[in-house]
Amino acid sequence: MDRSRGINDYEPGPVPSESRVDRYGFIKQNVSNSSAAEGLGKSREARRVRKWRKMIGVGGSDWKHYVRRKPHVVKRRIRKGIPDCLRGLVWQLISGSRDLLLMNPGVYEQLVIYETSASELDIIRDISRTFPTHVFFQQRHGPGQRSLYNVLKAYSVFDRAVGYVQGMGFLAGLLLLYMSEEDAFWLLVALLKGAVHAPMEGLYQVGLPLVQQYLFQFEHLVREHLPKLGEHFSREMINPSMYASQWFITVFSYSFPFPLALRIWDVFLFEGVKIVFKVGLALLKYCHDDLINLSFEKLIHALRNFPEDAMNPDILLPMAYSIKVSRSLGESKIEYEKQNRKPKIEA
Amino acid sequence: MAYKVDHEYDYLFKIVLIGDSGVGKSNILSRFTRNEFCLESKSTIGVEFATRTLQVEGKTVKAQIWDTAGQERYRAITSAYYRGAVGALLVYDITKRQTFDNVLRWLRELRDHADSNIVIMMAGNKSDLNHLRAVSTEDAQSLAESEGLSFMETSALEAFNIEKAFQTVLLDIYQIIRKKALAAQESASGTGVPQGTTINVNNMSDNANKKPCCST
Repeated sequence: MDRSRGINDYEPGPVPSESRVDRYGFIKQNVSNSSAAEGLGKSREARRVRKWRKMIGVGGSDWKHYVRRKPHVVKRRIRKGIPDCLRGLVWQLISGSRDLLLMNPGVYEQLVIYETSASELDIIRDISRTFPTHVFFQQRHGPGQRSLYNVLKAYSVFDRAVGYVQGMGFLAGLLLLYMSEEDAFWLLVALLKGAVHAPMEGLYQVGLPLVQQYLFQFEHLVREHLPKLGEHFSREMINPSMYASQWFITVFSYSFPFPLALRIWDVFLFEGVKIVFKVGLALLKYCHDDLINLSFEKLIHALRNFPEDAMNPDILLPMAYSIKVSRSLGESKIEYEKQNRKPKIEA
Repeated sequence: MAYKVDHEYDYLFKIVLIGDSGVGKSNILSRFTRNEFCLESKSTIGVEFATRTLQVEGKTVKAQIWDTAGQERYRAITSAYYRGAVGALLVYDITKRQTFDNVLRWLRELRDHADSNIVIMMAGNKSDLNHLRAVSTEDAQSLAESEGLSFMETSALEAFNIEKAFQTVLLDIYQIIRKKALAAQESASGTGVPQGTTINVNNMSDNANKKPCCST
């Protein structure tokens, strides 16, 4: 909390007068009990940080060794949530972005300073529309907005076929709250180009092919895991593009409570996109009995406004972890490719 | 069926909000459905949805409005939502010439994906920024005439003409339907269209059910 208090001093933007920020830097609209939900005791938190520091080593020097030796311990600890003070560093280690950075010295600077992008105006148009309630991004042309612009512009030059697509800003914005511009850029590259997991650039390529595939696969999963609800959805003509596009395009960073989004990202970067499907299913499962009684319009509303208790990471995530999706995802992918007569590209 | 079907309206009209990114579509929607305007709004990812019920010629009409992401790349997802729409609000920003020049591309999109009889209102939004105007009212008017569109300048911020723009679209749709209904049953008596029916301007006979027509 203390970390961000000073920022208010130089913030002349249209901030509501009695505004306060939460521990992540978002302007509080109304007094919520989110800090109570953060309920980790101080000493417990400190113990966790010590464990993590040992696991990582100085500047991440022991990380690879530890992961190789005890992958299950790492997985379990990440699923419990990476300590906030180490999050930025750990994200870079588990995403493979740190290696990319080291292998490409000077490249980011080159992209930002010397290249021009056809997407510059599109990026500028959206800068103030990305996390508009976060202090870091609120100030017009302030450091937050400038970094966001630079990262997005650099990526649009780095991959001109993708360029800039709405939604990328939320990924970049989330990363920038935990690391420098250059680090955020390489993490974006690692994700979209597939440094560790399958590449996700298809989320943003022309035709949004990967979005379409994920939505198809998600619908498949709903019918398999929640057959009654799946049937209800099709009777009410609800399809995942109406509620889940944002989940995939921004990996839950667009409209979900920040503490939940961060916990999802911890797992997402280590285990891959599967967690997005799992969390989506867990949300539907948690609200199943309510959803099944709603008709079209109320459904759409409910699917965009989950109750607060459903979005408590300590309730939702254990539920998500318990859902198995791998087999079904594999099958539905093959089916999707058959239907769309697409050549297999990625693993 | 276990759930309650909404019967609180005579007609359900599906409307799409389209136009370039950043012209104010989402704020037009929130102004019309909730009387809200947000200066710090996020860009729309995918589609958003809201409804409002109002009176048109003494009938209760529910407008079911789909707000779409404006960036071209998103048409891969959003164009599916044109299907079954009986009205469209095609929005440009009077302070950005490019968004007006793109109106023709949006019309082409509608012709490719929507019903041919769709009622289209072109809205020149942000009229409160008159000092930054880059599109004259005359230019817009003549385009509207040549393309057969209704036209209005609007301001979601000042709540100017938003109500009127939607009212006009809904009234136009209603009148088309009345005409069709009358023609379809010149000899028959009675009110014609059953209560709570979704109306497709293009082909009325298809729509004997009461489901919203918004599947992809």
